[in-house]
Amino acid sequence: MSGPAILTLAAIAKAFAGIHAVRDVSLAVGRGRILGLVGENGAGKSTLMNIIGGVVRPDGGTMLLDGAPYAPASPGEASRAGIAFIHQELNLFSNLTIAENIFLNDFPQRRFGPFSLIDRAAVARQARALLSEVSLDLPPETPLDRLSPGERQLVEVARALRLDARIIIFDEPTTSLTARETERLFALVARLREAGKSVIYISHILTDVAALADDIAVLRDGALIEAGAKAQFPIARMITLMVGRPIDQLYPPRKSAPQAAVLLEAISLGATGIIRDVSFALHRGEVLGIFGLMGAGRTELARILFGLDSHETGEIRVEGRRLPARSARASIRSGIAFITENRREEGLLMNGTVAENIALAALPRLAITPAELIEQGRIRSAAGALAEALNIKTASLDAPAKSLSGGNQQKVVLAKWLLCRPSVFIMDEPTRGIDVGAKYEIYSIIDRLAGAGGGVLFISSELEELLAVCDRILVMSRGEIVGEFARAGFDRGRVLAAAFREAAA
Amino acid sequence: MKRMMPWSCGGLALAGLAVLAAMPAEAAGKKVCYAFQDLSTGFWGAGHAAIVDTLKKNGVEVVELNGGKDANRQLEQVKDCIAQGADGIILTADDGDSETMLVALAQEADVPIATFNRPPSDLSKGIIVVADNESVARQAVEAMIVQAEAKFKKTGKKLHPLILVGDLADPNAVKRREGFMNALKSHADLFETPVEINTKWNSQVALAGLEAAVTADPNIDFIFTSSDFLFPTIQGVLEPRGKWKKSGDDNHVILGGLDGDDGACKLIREGYVDSTGVQDVYLEAKLALDSIQDAIAKGEARPNGVKLDPGFALSQANYAEKGPTTWGCMVLDAKK
Amino acid sequence: MGGDSRSPAHERLFEAAAIARDSRGSIVNFFRRILLSEYFILYLTIFYFLSMAAIFPDLATPRNISNQLSNVWPLLAVATGQTLVIIILGIDLSQGAIMGFASVAGGFVMATAADPNLLGGSPLWGTVLTEGGGWLAGRSGSVLIGVGLMLVVGGLVGLINGYFIARFRMPAFMVTLVSLMLFSSAGIWLTQSQNIVNLPPEFTQLGSGDLVSFYFGEKVEATIKRRDILSFLTYPMVIALALAVAVEIMLRFSVLGRYIYAIGMNAKTAAISGVPVRRVIMVVFVLSGLCAAVASILYSARLGGGRPTIGAGAALLDIIGATVIGGTSLSGGRGKIVWTLIGVVFFVLLGNTLNYMGLSAFYIDVVKGGIILAAAALDVARNQLLAGQAA
Repeated sequence: MSGPAILTLAAIAKAFAGIHAVRDVSLAVGRGRILGLVGENGAGKSTLMNIIGGVVRPDGGTMLLDGAPYAPASPGEASRAGIAFIHQELNLFSNLTIAENIFLNDFPQRRFGPFSLIDRAAVARQARALLSEVSLDLPPETPLDRLSPGERQLVEVARALRLDARIIIFDEPTTSLTARETERLFALVARLREAGKSVIYISHILTDVAALADDIAVLRDGALIEAGAKAQFPIARMITLMVGRPIDQLYPPRKSAPQAAVLLEAISLGATGIIRDVSFALHRGEVLGIFGLMGAGRTELARILFGLDSHETGEIRVEGRRLPARSARASIRSGIAFITENRREEGLLMNGTVAENIALAALPRLAITPAELIEQGRIRSAAGALAEALNIKTASLDAPAKSLSGGNQQKVVLAKWLLCRPSVFIMDEPTRGIDVGAKYEIYSIIDRLAGAGGGVLFISSELEELLAVCDRILVMSRGEIVGEFARAGFDRGRVLAAAFREAAA
Repeated sequence: MKRMMPWSCGGLALAGLAVLAAMPAEAAGKKVCYAFQDLSTGFWGAGHAAIVDTLKKNGVEVVELNGGKDANRQLEQVKDCIAQGADGIILTADDGDSETMLVALAQEADVPIATFNRPPSDLSKGIIVVADNESVARQAVEAMIVQAEAKFKKTGKKLHPLILVGDLADPNAVKRREGFMNALKSHADLFETPVEINTKWNSQVALAGLEAAVTADPNIDFIFTSSDFLFPTIQGVLEPRGKWKKSGDDNHVILGGLDGDDGACKLIREGYVDSTGVQDVYLEAKLALDSIQDAIAKGEARPNGVKLDPGFALSQANYAEKGPTTWGCMVLDAKK
Repeated sequence: MGGDSRSPAHERLFEAAAIARDSRGSIVNFFRRILLSEYFILYLTIFYFLSMAAIFPDLATPRNISNQLSNVWPLLAVATGQTLVIIILGIDLSQGAIMGFASVAGGFVMATAADPNLLGGSPLWGTVLTEGGGWLAGRSGSVLIGVGLMLVVGGLVGLINGYFIARFRMPAFMVTLVSLMLFSSAGIWLTQSQNIVNLPPEFTQLGSGDLVSFYFGEKVEATIKRRDILSFLTYPMVIALALAVAVEIMLRFSVLGRYIYAIGMNAKTAAISGVPVRRVIMVVFVLSGLCAAVASILYSARLGGGRPTIGAGAALLDIIGATVIGGTSLSGGRGKIVWTLIGVVFFVLLGNTLNYMGLSAFYIDVVKGGIILAAAALDVARNQLLAGQAA
C-alpha cells in the first residue's frame, strides 16, 4: 500500500438480535486504491458498509478516517465526511431531472435579501462538468426516468463527486448493467483511482473484482478471513476462502444427458412486436439455455410459454399435447413451472412464512374444492422435506421469506414448484443476486432435475454459467432466435457475436 | 410466554369485572333521559331548553341523548338509558313508528316514558304530549282565509293556494295537512285546487319544489307552510320575483305557518306573514315533565295517556293580545 | 426447524425487535412490546374499560355489559366481511348501502300491512306492496323467504362489485363507491324514503330474542321485572358468532383462506403460482355483501322495519374503524376475524363511554375518526418496524 491508509477499521463488531453480523473486523482501505470486498450473502459486507456509511453504529471497535477518529451518527454525517455510498438499489428520484437529483440536498443559490432562489445557471454549469467527469453524455435537464439503470448509476457517482467524496463504495453495481455500461463503469472506477479517490468495490462477480481491484478482502460469517494485494487471490482461492471449503470449480459437473423424448415444443410462436417465429424443442433430461442481451425478448417468451401472456401465431405443445387454456393454472396442471427473474415481486410472498410460500402453488392439489380444509400436517411435512432436500437455511419454517438470504429465497421458490411435480422448468435468471455457494447449489439442483427426467429452460444473461451448465444454448435477439449451439460447439465469442448481431430480415 | 399474555390479561379483566359488579350500586337522585333527534329548528331548541332547564331546577339528573337522525343510534341510546337505571324517559324520535317501538321497549322494562310533541303511531301506549295539530293548523289557515276573502272581494278571482307539507311519516305533518285541507274545504269557492309540495322536513327539498311550483304558476298567492322554519326558504323564492311584500300591498302573498317561533313572530310583526299556528312549547314541556315526575313519584311503571296542547293561532289581527303568550315572541323579545 | 414451531412469524420478529431495543431502557421497552404485540387491541380495550369503569362505575354493571354486547353482534357480522376485503387489499364502501337495500327488500316481502299514505308513492305499490302488506304477507315461510331474499340481494351486489373489480381491474374504492350511491338511492327510491314497518314477530325476534338469560338478585317477587333480566345468549349473538367463526375457520384452514392471504400479500406472485385471483376476488366481495346482508337482518329486526337508511351515514366509520383498529392491516395480507371481534368490542365500548360523557353525535364521530387515524398510523409504524428488522 502506498502511504498511510485513508480509512482504518479496528476490531469493529455489530450484532443484531443476538446474531453477530460483524465480529472483530480490522481492515484498511488504501489511499487511492480499489479494495474489492467479497463474501457470501450474510458474510457481513452490507453491515460493514452500513457502519462505514453511518447507517448503523458499531457495538465495538473504532474507525479512523485520514488519521482522525471517525464515528458517523447518521448517513448525512458520513457523506459530509466524504464517504459516498452507491447502493445496489439506487437512491434517486425518477420523477426529477438529472441535475435536480445531483443537487437535491444542496442547490447552488442566489440570495435576494431574505429570499434565495436556485441559481439555475450554476446548476446547469456544474451539472455538465460533473457529467463529463463520469462520461455521461446527456443534458442535465433530462428526467431521470428516461435513463437506463447504468446511466442512473453514473448520476449517483456524479452526485458522489459533487460531495467531494474521498471514498466511494459500490455495492453490487453491475447487476442491472449491460455489457457496455459495465465497461464504462470500470473505466470510470479506474479514473476515480487516478484522481486519488479510494474505492470499495463489492460484487459477487469474482472475475470483475479480480480485474478491477488492487487489494482484496474476503469476509465470511462476519469475520475478515484474509486481506491483501490482488496477487494473493486467484479466483479459486477467493471462492475457497469465501465458502470455507474447497470448491475447485464454480460449476458442478453435469451428470445427466438429454434424451430423445420432447417435453416442450414451441412451433412458430409469434406476438407482434414481442417475438417472431420462435420454434424450438426441449427434450427430457435436457438443460436448454437461452442467452441474449436485455430486450431480446427472453422473459417475454417465457411468459408466453407459461401462459401469462397471449400469442397470436404458432402453438405450444407439452408432451405432444396442445396446451388447452392459456393461463398459469392450466400450465401448472400441464406440468410447467415458471421461476421468474424477480423473486421479490413475482416469486415470493415476502411477508409470508417459508412454509406458506412452499405450499402456495400446490394448494389446488391438496384439496378438491377451495372450501376444503387443508391438512396442516401434510403441508408442513412436505415443506420440511423439501427444505431439507434443497438445503434451505432458515430459522424455522415459520420465518418470513424476507428474512432469508437471496440464495435461500430462490430455493424456496424452487421448492414451491417442486411440490407441483412439474416436468418442465422455465427458469428466468435463477442465479441473479445470489452468492457463489448458493449458485453452486442451484446448478446442482438443475442437474438433478434434468437427471430425474425433467427439462429445464435456463434463461440467463451470464454466458459463463450457461456455457458450464447447459446442453444446448439458443441465442435470442430482438424477439427472434438467431442462433443455436450444441455443447460440442460452445464458443464464447461466437455466441456473443450471435447475440449482438441484428436478426436476419 | 408471549402467547399467554392475552389470556392472562383477559383473566385479570374478568376478575376485575367481578369485583366491580359486586360493588353496591350508589344511591342516586332521580335520573331522567331526554332522547331527541337533532335540534334543527327553533321549536326544538326552545323545547330542549325548557325540558332540560326545568328538570335541572327540580334537582333531577338529566342525560341528554342526541340521536343525530340515526334510528339505530337512538335505539342504542334508549337501551343504554334503560340499562343504566333511568327513572324516566322523555322521547322525540324521527317518525311515528320508531316512537312506538321505543315506547314499547321502555314499557317492557317498566320505565315510565313520555313522548314530546311527536306522537307515536300507536296512541295507546305511553304518555303522549302532542299539539292538536289539526285544530291549530285549521285555526291558522282560517286567519289567512279572512285575508283571502278580502282579496276575493276586491279582484273577483279565485286564489291559488299552495301547501308545504312536512314528512308524511311524522303524524304531526299529516294532521297539519288535514287541518289545512279542512279549512279550505269550508270556503271552497274561494280557492283553486291547492298545490302540495312534500318537503320531507328538508329545506333544500322545499326550495326546489317551491321554485318549480311558482315558476309553473306565477299566480300563487296563498302559501301555508307546515312549519315556520321554512319561511326563509319562502322568502328566498318570493323576493326575487317581487312577491315578498307586506300586507296591504297588491303583490302581497298571503302567508301562514305553524310552530310560533321567533322568526314567524318577527315576520308577523313586520307584516310579511299573516298568521301562524302556535304550539305552546312551554306548556307541552311542562305537561311532559309533570307526567313523568308524577309517574316516578307514584311508582307507576307504565303510565299511558294523551295530553293535548290545544294551541292557538297568532295573526296580525290578534297580535297585541296573543303576542305576549307566544313562545316565539318571548324568545324574540329576550334576544333584544 | 426450531422448537416453537407453531408461533407466527410476525410474533417472532416483534420479539426480535423488542430485544434489539433492550439497550433503551426497560419501561420504554415494555411499552414498545405492548404496542407491537399482535393483541395490542385487546390490551388497549381492557385498559380502557378498567380506567373508564373507575370513572363511571355504571359501566361495569352486568346490565350495561349485557346491553353493550347486544350492540356488538350486528357490527361484528358486517365487519367480518369488511375484514376479508381489507385482507386482499381492497375496501368495500358499499356495505352500508347493501344493508339498507337488503332491509328494504326484506320489508317488501315480509310486511304484514302497509300504509298507503306513506308508501303509496312507491313504484312497487299495487304490485308487490299493498295495504295488506308485502309480497308474502302473512303467509307461512314469509320470514324464511324474506331473509333468504335479503341474503341473495347482498350476495348479488357483492358479485357485481367483485366482477367489475376482478374482471376490469377497476379500483375497489371506485367500484364500491358507485355501488354505494346506486343502491342507497335504489332503496330510497323504492320506498320513497319511508320505512316499511309491520314486520312479523318471527323476524323481529331475530334482532333481540333471548335464548338464555340471567337474573341477578333474590327472588322476592312473583314476577321478575323485565329490565332485571339480562340477556346472555341471544339470536343476534348466535347468528353473528356463527358467521364469524365460520369465516375464521375458512381463513385459517381452507385453501380459499390461503388464497385470500396470498393475494393480499402479493397478487402477482399468487397469479403466477396458480392462484385463481379473479375468482377469489369475486368470492370475497360476495362474502362481504352476504355479511352486510346478515347485519341488515339483525339491524332491521331490532329496529322493526325495512329501512333504507340502515347503514347510512357514519356506519362505515364504525365498520372500517373496528376492522382496522382490530389489527387487520391496510397494506393487505394480514388479518383475523378474532382481531375484528376485539376491534368491534372496543368500538362499541368507545361509543358507550362517549355517550356517558354526554358528547354530541358530532364529537363522537370526530373522536371515532381520530381513533381510526391512530390505528392506521400504528399499522404503518408496525410495518416499517417489520421491514427495518428483516435482513
